[in-house]
Amino acid sequence: MKAALLTSATVALTLSITTPSYAQTAEERGLEIFEQVSAQNDGFQDSTASMTMTLINRSGKKSVRRMRAKTLEVANDGDKSMTIFDEPADVKGTATLTYSHTKEADEQWLYLPALKRVKRISSKNKTGAFMGSEFAFEDIGSQEVEKYTYKYLSEEQLDGIAVHKIEAYPTYKYSGYTRLISYIDQERLVSLKTEFYDRKDVLLKTLTLSDYVHHDDKNWRPARMEMINAQTKKSTILEFSDYKFATGMTDKDFSSNSLKKLR
Amino acid sequence: MRTLYPLILISTLALTDSVNAEWAKRGDLKFQFQAFTDTALHTATQSSNLSVSGNAEFNREIGENGNLTISPFFRVDQHDDSRSHVDLREFIYRHSGDTWEVNVGLGKVFWGVAESNNIVDIINQKDAIEGNSPEHKLGQPMINLLLLKDWGEISLFVLPGFRERTFASKDGRPRGFSAIDTDNARYESDNEQNHIDVAGRISGVINEWDLGFHVFNGTAREPLISFIDATPFYYQLTQVGIDVQATLESWLLKTEAVHKSGSRINDHMQLVSGVEYSFYGVAESDIDIGVVTEWLYDDLTDQANTVFQNDLLVALRFALNDEQSSEALVGVITDLDGGGDLFSAEASRRIGDKFKLQIEALIWANADNDPFLGQFQQEDYIQLELGYFF
Repeated sequence: MKAALLTSATVALTLSITTPSYAQTAEERGLEIFEQVSAQNDGFQDSTASMTMTLINRSGKKSVRRMRAKTLEVANDGDKSMTIFDEPADVKGTATLTYSHTKEADEQWLYLPALKRVKRISSKNKTGAFMGSEFAFEDIGSQEVEKYTYKYLSEEQLDGIAVHKIEAYPTYKYSGYTRLISYIDQERLVSLKTEFYDRKDVLLKTLTLSDYVHHDDKNWRPARMEMINAQTKKSTILEFSDYKFATGMTDKDFSSNSLKKLR
Repeated sequence: MRTLYPLILISTLALTDSVNAEWAKRGDLKFQFQAFTDTALHTATQSSNLSVSGNAEFNREIGENGNLTISPFFRVDQHDDSRSHVDLREFIYRHSGDTWEVNVGLGKVFWGVAESNNIVDIINQKDAIEGNSPEHKLGQPMINLLLLKDWGEISLFVLPGFRERTFASKDGRPRGFSAIDTDNARYESDNEQNHIDVAGRISGVINEWDLGFHVFNGTAREPLISFIDATPFYYQLTQVGIDVQATLESWLLKTEAVHKSGSRINDHMQLVSGVEYSFYGVAESDIDIGVVTEWLYDDLTDQANTVFQNDLLVALRFALNDEQSSEALVGVITDLDGGGDLFSAEASRRIGDKFKLQIEALIWANADNDPFLGQFQQEDYIQLELGYFF
């Protein structure tokens, strides 16, 4: 089949690039694209960023949280990450440390600065609201390809950009979602939009990712994420700034002792 | 306490250049109101009390591998001169190597996993007059060497200088019939407060298990109180113990156990062991509810230097996970030998971005037959605290 295509006209050759194999199922194609998205994301070694989270309630009232995030890439497993809270002031200095895993449950610790206590916490709670926002813990955790199965739906145009529309099904049994529909930019291989369906399979939230910045000519990162809750009409805007990559952090910067040394 | 003033002066001077953004800062100023619902059976007759406390933590890098933390604390209390006090929770220099760390100065250390009582947590003296929370600790003079390993850490302490536990004075509440005579504390060691204590702990993580093992030799943090004149007696103690937590999805299994020995006490064992189960997102909401139960045991039973010789904690923890981080914890510790109950409730909610309101209540009940708890039957209180955070 392939040989026939190669000898045929240019039109057919172009077609073979966008549809690589006729034998590929929708499931395989979805997985393949998410592996490409993940590969595009990989190889950064480590990163740090500042985050500003703006919670907007139904009447438009805003409240702001500020955090810093540190991530360490781990070969053949989920990343190690740390979130340090700066605002609101009553949680200043509080930090979380997460070892995410592709197969076993994630490991997670919480640092309480007033007590100087590092507390191991359950990582089971994926559906809970992160800092009272519209982001659940599972939305902001390390996104590992293995945590979902996939199904390719269609090619579409999203605001004039050619995208892959792919459905993802969480493999984690305590996920708050039955499925996620992602719109992946075909050219840059980044997610532009995700729709989250709740346990009753009703649209719960829509995440829009924008202002992508190309870092070190390698990794695309969104500078802005907006999560709108379709059911409560509340929304949260998450903005990233001061991205730094390959700063030379190691496992030692992601130990429970390092939580006590954050400033 | 007086020896602290020069240190506080130094820290105040050091902080005058805090305007140069070199210092990371955080802290709070809290206004507290307490209402006592019953008339006391002792000399402190007030039915309410006002106080203000402040806590700050300043931190800066010194050179490439050095770091200095300074945490002053103060409280001014309407009735109790003992509760009006200052302390340096921390004044500590840290030097970090690649696989080790040295901490020298006044420090604060937490060991333990339990919710009701951390019996392994022995490095710092409790600032008990501040309340029961494990955050209220007096700064402990220490030289600490920390060895960082792939599997965890080894922490070694030399502790020169002892801090006496704080207690309510005759004018303060809540307290027992006789105020503790802190001016006439006695010691087993002739070196009294200058006895040099030593301690070490090995801790690490193996999958879902967090494990710690410790030894301590030196002056006991918890004094024996004389029945005759209410003077505290600080004996020499050798303690070994473990703390273990297993984190299994919604279940947390927690155990702390210590063995205590010394020439002035009977060898004995203490245990705090229990489970915590969490229901996440109850009824499709954002609310989490945790159920905590812990058994507190001391094998000295009748002679135990603790109210927790055979007690059971049952508590419910609520987290609303809302914008204001509203939380509540209600519970009861019951003496399984019929010595009484201690009910407690606390709740907190953020107000705006800078303030937080906390409410706390303690009620002692059914303690008529218990010589220790019975003293607190008239000491029930409700406390309101408004904190400003920076």
